[in-house]
Amino acid sequence: MHMSDALVSPPVFAATGAVSIALIAIAVRKIGRRGDARSLAPRERQTVPLMGVAGAFVFAAQMINFSIPGTGSSGHIVGGILLAALLGPWAAFLALCSVLILQCLVFADGGFLALGCNILNMAALSCLVAYPFVFRPLMRRDASTGRIFAASILAAVAALETGAAAVTAETELSGITALPAGRFLLFMMPIHLAIGLCEGVATAAVLCVVRRYRPELLADAAGTEAEKRRSLAGAAAVIALAALLTGGVSHIASSDPDGLEWSIERTAGTAEPADAADGPLHRAAAAVAERTAVMPDYNASAAGVIGSGAIIVAALGVSGLVRTLRRDR
Amino acid sequence: MKDRLQRVLCTLDDLERASQRPSPLQRMDARAKTAAATLFLVTMLSVPLAQLSELLLYALFPIAAAAAGGIDYGAVCRRSLIALPFAAMIGLFNPICLRDTVFSIGGVNVTEGWITFASILVRGMLSVQILIVLIRSTGYLRFCRSLQRLGVPAALTAQLLFVFRYIRLLSEETLEMLRARDARGYGRRSYPIGLWAETVGQLLLRTLDRAEHIHNAMLARGFTGRIPAVDTRGGEKWRRSDTLVLAAWCAALLAARTLGPAERLAAQFI
Repeated sequence: MHMSDALVSPPVFAATGAVSIALIAIAVRKIGRRGDARSLAPRERQTVPLMGVAGAFVFAAQMINFSIPGTGSSGHIVGGILLAALLGPWAAFLALCSVLILQCLVFADGGFLALGCNILNMAALSCLVAYPFVFRPLMRRDASTGRIFAASILAAVAALETGAAAVTAETELSGITALPAGRFLLFMMPIHLAIGLCEGVATAAVLCVVRRYRPELLADAAGTEAEKRRSLAGAAAVIALAALLTGGVSHIASSDPDGLEWSIERTAGTAEPADAADGPLHRAAAAVAERTAVMPDYNASAAGVIGSGAIIVAALGVSGLVRTLRRDR
Repeated sequence: MKDRLQRVLCTLDDLERASQRPSPLQRMDARAKTAAATLFLVTMLSVPLAQLSELLLYALFPIAAAAAGGIDYGAVCRRSLIALPFAAMIGLFNPICLRDTVFSIGGVNVTEGWITFASILVRGMLSVQILIVLIRSTGYLRFCRSLQRLGVPAALTAQLLFVFRYIRLLSEETLEMLRARDARGYGRRSYPIGLWAETVGQLLLRTLDRAEHIHNAMLARGFTGRIPAVDTRGGEKWRRSDTLVLAAWCAALLAARTLGPAERLAAQFI
């Protein structure tokens, strides 16, 4: 689900980047307060060194596959909910951010300017939305195995479905794809439902193992009861939203491929009928693109494309020549 | 999966070795390089998809940067292909949806959809290429230090450095565990989720214990939660040549974006 730079346009990466930077700043402040080594209890002080290791752990755990029964294929964990259960939401968010940045820089997974989108889609939605609003309210201090599984699966599905919806929205707002939003959602939602189920089961299985050997590590997941009651309403809201996104939107999208745009159109109050590739999202994107464009729009011509190609080939030749000459010296 | 972990270790090794190789680009200040790469990405991604000819010209920038850094552009190009599948999958809908013919070469009609599809691929490849050139000529550790000097909070950069160091450690540990598991598995190939969880859980517990040891050792050596931004070997200075190169780079980007050189040249010849 790493988005590449190819799929985002400047307005979208500016907006998502600003939100991500703000979230990172909040996380840094929260962690910084905890990291003040003199004043704190040992467990709190442990968070900062734990974060680096936990990030690396998620990275390594992603490399270990498990087989998915009945399909013959295998999957791996993404790890947002698992990290949050161990470290608390903000520390887990920061750890996941650093993993995403490293994956982008070292392994070319996801774009540099698309990092804002990726941080929102994967780190923020799982650690800061799905975990505190779905997972934590459902957990108890002495939760049964079934409860752990239920909480993990619901949280993981909520995280991945909202993430998939965010990917769709960001790509559509960038005006990159000609695919209507409804069909795009229909394509993304079922895939991520399946991924979410696997992720949830895997997360729960690891949590059970951790609880068997070192139950004190799950302190954050079993918060105080008063906190629980407050966030139960939030849990209901997020689960309902995720269910709505999964079921409702897919249903609309399948019964009428342009149903989503039709419904947006109706709520927006505009009456003109939309072409397949001319929904309100596309029009909004086009308007933004028009305003940010430096020069008037014109299209590529055959001569232009061929000419540019020739220039690139010439440049490659020159750089190759320079390299061989330098090596000979 | 073992291959994947081994590949990770090789990539990390290769990266640090490559970043030590001296070249004009390697000597440039890391902050200047980061700014140059970011500016390149912003201008390149703001080119409308229909202007494939202009977009192609942006390939000159990674080619020039790779040449200045003594990096094999062919290898950079090949590595940039791995990022494409998802973008290509999304982009593949464009040729299906947009069927207006833009121009035809030798009787083959090229439609708007194919032009935008090609643009998406070019965008994806170029954006990865410039990042590869940046990081291979700088090195991850130096890049993080430059981020810290650019004002990124120390909590985040320390985090980035920790993750980078621990990844190598944990990859080796994971490889060891998987090898031990396979040696005792009597030829078993796939592992159901229960066994997988047991492995990952063990890895997690070992990791946490090790982190505690390392952290105590660091505290004993005077670690304050901040990794110094300046290299102990004297650190890097922003030289005048950095300013000049950055200015020239910006001017070239600006010219490519506002003048539309490709179509203008093409119009000259026809």
